[in-house]
Amino acid sequence: MVLALAIQLFIAAFSSFLVVGLVSLYDPGSGSVEFAVAGDTDEIVDIVEDEDAWTATRHATRAEAVDFFERGDADAVLFVERPGGGGDVEVTVIAPRSDLRTTLVVSSARDLLERYEDTERERRAASLGVETVEVPEGEASPYHGFTYAVLVPLLMFLPVFISGSIAADSVTEEFERGTLDLLRVSPLSDAAVFDGKTATAVVIAPAQAALWLALLSLNGVVVASPVGLIALVAGVTAVAVGFGASVALSFQERKQAQFVYSVGVMAFFVMTFALPEPSANTVAKLAVGSATWATYGHVAVYVVLGAVGYAVARKVAGRKLS
Amino acid sequence: MRPRKVLRIARWEVSRSAGGLDRRSLAYALVALLLVAGVAPFAVDGGLYDGLYVVGVDEESGYHDAVERSETLRAVEPSEEAFSSGRLDVLVTDGVRAADTGKGRAAVSELRDAVRAYNADLLDGYDTAYPVSVDLRYVDRGTAVSADDASESVSGGSSGGDGTEGGTDGGTDVEASGEEDGFSFPSGGLDGVLGQGGRAGTPGGITPPFPFSSLVLAFAFLVPLNFVIQAYSTSIMNERIDRRGVLTLASPVSRYEIVAGKTVPYFAIALGTVAVVAVAVSGGVASVVAVAPVAFVFLALTFVGSMFARSYKELTFVTVFVSVSVTSYVFVPAVFTDVDPIAAISPLSIVVRDLQGATAPVSWYLFSGAPLVFSSAVLFSLGAGVYREEDMFTQRPVRLKALDALVSWLHRRASVAKVSVLLIPFVFVAQLLVVAVVFALPVGISVPLLLVVAAVVEETAKSMAVYAGFVSSVFERTTPNAVVLGALSGVGFFVGEKAAHLAQVVGLDRLEVGRAALGIASDASPLVLAVLLVAPLVLHTVTTCIASVGASYGKREFGVGLSAAVAVHVAYNLAVVSLVA
Repeated sequence: MVLALAIQLFIAAFSSFLVVGLVSLYDPGSGSVEFAVAGDTDEIVDIVEDEDAWTATRHATRAEAVDFFERGDADAVLFVERPGGGGDVEVTVIAPRSDLRTTLVVSSARDLLERYEDTERERRAASLGVETVEVPEGEASPYHGFTYAVLVPLLMFLPVFISGSIAADSVTEEFERGTLDLLRVSPLSDAAVFDGKTATAVVIAPAQAALWLALLSLNGVVVASPVGLIALVAGVTAVAVGFGASVALSFQERKQAQFVYSVGVMAFFVMTFALPEPSANTVAKLAVGSATWATYGHVAVYVVLGAVGYAVARKVAGRKLS
Repeated sequence: MRPRKVLRIARWEVSRSAGGLDRRSLAYALVALLLVAGVAPFAVDGGLYDGLYVVGVDEESGYHDAVERSETLRAVEPSEEAFSSGRLDVLVTDGVRAADTGKGRAAVSELRDAVRAYNADLLDGYDTAYPVSVDLRYVDRGTAVSADDASESVSGGSSGGDGTEGGTDGGTDVEASGEEDGFSFPSGGLDGVLGQGGRAGTPGGITPPFPFSSLVLAFAFLVPLNFVIQAYSTSIMNERIDRRGVLTLASPVSRYEIVAGKTVPYFAIALGTVAVVAVAVSGGVASVVAVAPVAFVFLALTFVGSMFARSYKELTFVTVFVSVSVTSYVFVPAVFTDVDPIAAISPLSIVVRDLQGATAPVSWYLFSGAPLVFSSAVLFSLGAGVYREEDMFTQRPVRLKALDALVSWLHRRASVAKVSVLLIPFVFVAQLLVVAVVFALPVGISVPLLLVVAAVVEETAKSMAVYAGFVSSVFERTTPNAVVLGALSGVGFFVGEKAAHLAQVVGLDRLEVGRAALGIASDASPLVLAVLLVAPLVLHTVTTCIASVGASYGKREFGVGLSAAVAVHVAYNLAVVSLVA
């Protein structure tokens, strides 16, 4: 068990470090970018000057700008053309291939060109008499959303999945090794044996979720409602463990139990997407701090479902123990 | 290895497993799938990002429509009090104000995208919604390396005249990037996961090189493989429970034939799964060929895990561990597919290229596949080493079992050299994994860290076999013997390492961290090169002798010897790095 926990901790640390590390590596706005611009550049340069982190050097020709970039004096080349006179604009962006800064450079270029697009749109709208909405300013890491909406749910549900799997393992092992009879002759009730087989599995996933949240906050990802998240994980874990143990009691063989369990749990997660809030979205909202009453309602549903599901599994499947 | 015997065992395995997954479990699975299919129509609009950020905006405001149309944003009544207490991330009154937090900034950035989409829609009727078109190219600059098979045209579509521009001066190679040309995912999975994505060829369509596609691909290929290894691990583990495997062991087939026979069906299923996934993501034969070694290494690791695990529970952790490590090994380098040569170590890079409609050079297949296939073969051989009564059916400590596995390779003293060579791919993989992990750190930290880790990994790999030989009394515990074994192991490792340096072919040396891990120095004078060739030989021999002399005395002395060897190795590495730099 110690080894198992150590392995799991290693996985936790490794993947958390890896993903969070990668995500933070790609945090744009963390450095200055120098553009070499050529062609029809007036507006581009105006936009660059508005942003502290950016600088631009003008060049007479595209070749000159590329040379400048080649020497390492600029991070990227922007070449702006208006082939049809005042019509649509064509921009060529040249970015370094093999460079740790590539992502920063490319996302800065994207940001810059989107602002350029805004000004172009405004001009068109004005000449057409269309009333557009002014685009607000401010730029953020595009991975803020990814962290909360994909990463955190993944980290919360992975231990749940493993927990149910362990519960199934610990039951099938008794059958396969033929040791269940020893438990049957012990003075323990069926329910007590069931609890004993599943207790670690039920506790471990919420504990691990808590650990993961702690690791995340060490990495600078603050979670708004850890209690709500852990309650949700506990509820879902109870469902998964109850289901895993019941499947194991019913099939008594690891290969089949694991197969049915995996398919069943995946189906369960997919089915939560039919709720007003998918399970992953509930986690995301709790984590990011945009939870509504509906979100807490969903948490309550999972907790109740967990309690009821586990109780039913213990009563119905537990009978197979004797 | 006799094919007929192998096939017979394979047939048994299939017939037993076909009975193993009985109708009842398939029926349950079918019910689950039907349930999923039943709710699928209701599940389609449930997005991961829905309502992530809260915007206070009046219904009269022009922003209200933009906010309403964004799934990610939730519009509520504007209120100063709610804004200052943090319940609103963005407040729209006369101007737009965002909370001064990461969330507030993300929210306003999201609002910005929403407003842009809204404006573009307003202009769409006049055919000028996207006035700026963008062509993004990636360029190698200022590198002396010219053998650039790692950076041939990505898109294959628009090379033509542009491709040669500036290509003559300074080894520059201008080329079109794979701007999502012909790169289609079914069911819009990517945008769904990403919550972003603009029209190709517009500023919003620029994707900075963090291909989440690689992540999605890694999951698409590896998640189904988990089912296969689950069944495979159970099958292997079941041989070990209640001495069930003793019957096949007692039959006149070798253990290698048994292992091969039990593995063949699962490898076939794994290949079939990979092929199905490849078709589903609209990849071709190239994708299957590229991912096949991954399936192989998956099975190999699972096999060793199943031979060592002491219970089902441990086995579950082992399989999870295997799948996490394989996933990260495969995913992390593939992140840099369009950008960096290091991507070549991941088979997914080939898949990504295949999906982009470009062909990857043959060297990529070799570079990504060969280490995996070789490692898998070694793992199978290692696991087969303990596929025998003494280890399979007893609760022997894992440590001793591992030594047993190594001992199965030792026949004479020269065997230690062979073991050192065999362990090279693991050293290589371990170091590359470390490279992948520390890639994100600044060079000042990552390079010294790598030097230390590299020394630990290499010294352990070199001296383990010697220690195993002493413990199991294959070798006599004398100091001269230890020195001979150490020297043999060191020389073996040196030879293997030099072979592994063929990595240079794909230009891994261009990456600073890669250079540190592999000790490659490409731009040095012949004299320095000669020294660089002889010095590692001396180093490996000397350090392994230190460790193996320690091993000849016992466990604790081995620890001391190994630490001393690591210390010498680190000192040497630091000296080399500072000299070359």
